[in-house]
Amino acid sequence: MDFTFTEEQVLLRDTVTRSLERDYSFEARQAIARSERGWSPEVWARLVELGLTALPFPEAVGGLNGSIVDVVAVAEVFGAHLLVEPWVASVVLAGGVLAAVEDQDTLARIASGEAIGALAHEEGRGTPDPALITTTAERSGDGYALTGEKRVVLHGASADVLVVTARLDAGPAVFLVDPSAPAATGFTTVDGRRAAHLRFDATPATLLAADAEQLLREALDRALVVLAAEAVGATGELLRRTAEYASTREQFGVPIGTFQTVAHRLADMKIAYVKARSTLLYTTALTEAGRLGPQDVAVLKAQVGRLGRLVGEYAIQTHGGVGMTDELPIGHLHKRILAVDAMFGPADHHLRRLGAGLAWAPATTG
Amino acid sequence: MDIAPNADLEKFREEVAEFLDTAPTPEIREAGRKTTSVFGPFDQVMAWHRILHARGWSAPDWPVEHGGTGWSVEQRYVFAEEYQKRGLPPLLPNGLRMIGPLLMELGTPEQQARHLPGILSGEDYWTQGYSEPGAGSDLASLSTMAVPDGDDYVLNGSKIWTTYAHHANRMFLLVRTSREGRKQRGITFLLLDRMDLPGLEVRPIIGLDGAPEQCEVFFTDVRVPQANRVGAENDGWSVAKQLLKHERGGSAHSPMLRRRLEVARAVAAETPSGFGGSLADDPAFQRDLGELEAELASYEHFEKLAISGHPIAKDPAYPSLNKVMSSELTQRISVLMTRVVGLDGLADQREALHVGSEVEPLGGDLALVAMPYYLNSRATTIYAGTNEVQRDLVARTLRS
Repeated sequence: MDFTFTEEQVLLRDTVTRSLERDYSFEARQAIARSERGWSPEVWARLVELGLTALPFPEAVGGLNGSIVDVVAVAEVFGAHLLVEPWVASVVLAGGVLAAVEDQDTLARIASGEAIGALAHEEGRGTPDPALITTTAERSGDGYALTGEKRVVLHGASADVLVVTARLDAGPAVFLVDPSAPAATGFTTVDGRRAAHLRFDATPATLLAADAEQLLREALDRALVVLAAEAVGATGELLRRTAEYASTREQFGVPIGTFQTVAHRLADMKIAYVKARSTLLYTTALTEAGRLGPQDVAVLKAQVGRLGRLVGEYAIQTHGGVGMTDELPIGHLHKRILAVDAMFGPADHHLRRLGAGLAWAPATTG
Repeated sequence: MDIAPNADLEKFREEVAEFLDTAPTPEIREAGRKTTSVFGPFDQVMAWHRILHARGWSAPDWPVEHGGTGWSVEQRYVFAEEYQKRGLPPLLPNGLRMIGPLLMELGTPEQQARHLPGILSGEDYWTQGYSEPGAGSDLASLSTMAVPDGDDYVLNGSKIWTTYAHHANRMFLLVRTSREGRKQRGITFLLLDRMDLPGLEVRPIIGLDGAPEQCEVFFTDVRVPQANRVGAENDGWSVAKQLLKHERGGSAHSPMLRRRLEVARAVAAETPSGFGGSLADDPAFQRDLGELEAELASYEHFEKLAISGHPIAKDPAYPSLNKVMSSELTQRISVLMTRVVGLDGLADQREALHVGSEVEPLGGDLALVAMPYYLNSRATTIYAGTNEVQRDLVARTLRS
């Protein structure tokens, strides 16, 4: 067994970290998030230059054939730096599903970074299981027409490529839709990303894959490992910043970290982080070995959500008043974790599945 | 990263499984079912220790030159998994995981030659004499005195929480040899190579679970040869700290917890919830069981990272992190066990818990052990350095 990053992966992480430290300070990130577009084409161009949009894809589409470990290694760094650029939306979510359905032409545009992809999948208050999709697809002329609403589609209002899941006959299927076709309600998420609710009303669509339940499940499980890596990166950053703050902030004439109540809270943050990161690394190794099961994903998603939330809440408490301000990254890191937790089923959902033994036999709609 | 199982490992698993299926006697299996502590029923556990030793498997974690198995970390984990799947009683940790490894590091060649074979074979059981009535978390304030006299020390004082001292034929302990300077500076580490010394008295303490697991040991002018000292006089504190690393680290603990949780899940499926269905169908129970499943999985992952040599185990906070995680998870699982057995946990079954007891247990196996296991587990966050002390240590590594 070996759960360490290779020298190349460490090098890649260092390169990405250095690049973000130079161009993506928290202040710069905040300015980008508040800009009209909500993300920076210059930063995006650098990510493309570093090969990060091509990383997980096969060479046939101009990809770098990177492994899940490569992707996780980078995603942790993105989480720590609170990236708002559409890397998760385009490369991880849309790209992950496009790779699964082997749409080479579209994938090539995603890999090169020239097109931004979005995946319209979740509905209602969240869709933890592809079998629960209610958006419908009906045959219409040579193509299909989609009806339903997709919610919190990351970069859904501004994407060049829109991948949509919908129910066709019995099971979930994957479609490509003209991004300007659905009615979009755009907004910024609490963690600073651009997103949209998308309304489909007999919207024309091209079928990419029918009977896609298993395919979607596998693609989304892989994507969840990467989302979890972002959350764990943010959790580690919260721990680092809070330990530093507690060591330097003085009250009653001493650093607050010397008070036992505060010290024990720091210890609990460290314990939570170590658990979450152990599970991330182990699950990543399972994924690379092709042995990722639904139970493993449920454990990972639940742990990064609940442990990350704990670390975030403790970080805010330890920082006191300044932890409540928008000026510090603390609250923003916390909100990134909350966002990851809320997507694709929150911790409580996955915990109950584990307790019910349902992680092995996914729920289906009646 | 690489997690691939290999064919050799699966072959090894079969070899281990075959032995563990056939070697334990019915009494040893019964002792496994009646284990409610880290310390299982003494006679059967030691008998099992000697059977494992005859196979060469009593100390998988030891170096080969001292009688270890030479197994890889993966093999050791497989052994622990197969061992726990069968609910066999764990071997006692004091010799194999504490004083044994310590003597390998700091004992003289004579001490090693004299003591390691008996630890390995299960002929000897060592009790640990650290705490005193006035020295718990603040261990360095211990006051059992050892005064040099000729080739001996003369001991006066008492030790407490000396696990299974009433079964022990050996003891390692910390004594005070000087009151000069810092209190850590005047401590010495000693070995007692017998427990029937004149002036030595052992008194068992009945615990919350009704079992005489802990003891108090009294010393009145007890003579111990100075040659039985480990390390230098007045340097016992650094020896003890070295040993604490072994006590807090230990080897794979998660397979045992996995078995406890699986038994609880299985029994829950046959237990009415009070809402019409089974406890296993109750959403509140599912949510709580799921959280323990997830927590146990994370602990397994942490253990596997550590045994594979991941840098996570080189963190100075690692022993404390491991101790806090494993003890608190143990307690939470023990709570779930009592929840599953409900009223059945209320019968005091200390008689039925004896191996070979004539007393028929009330309820099933889980009902027999759940409450004493829960009660005994309250100690896990107290012994080997309270979790409050461990959190202090973790926090210290975080402060810049």
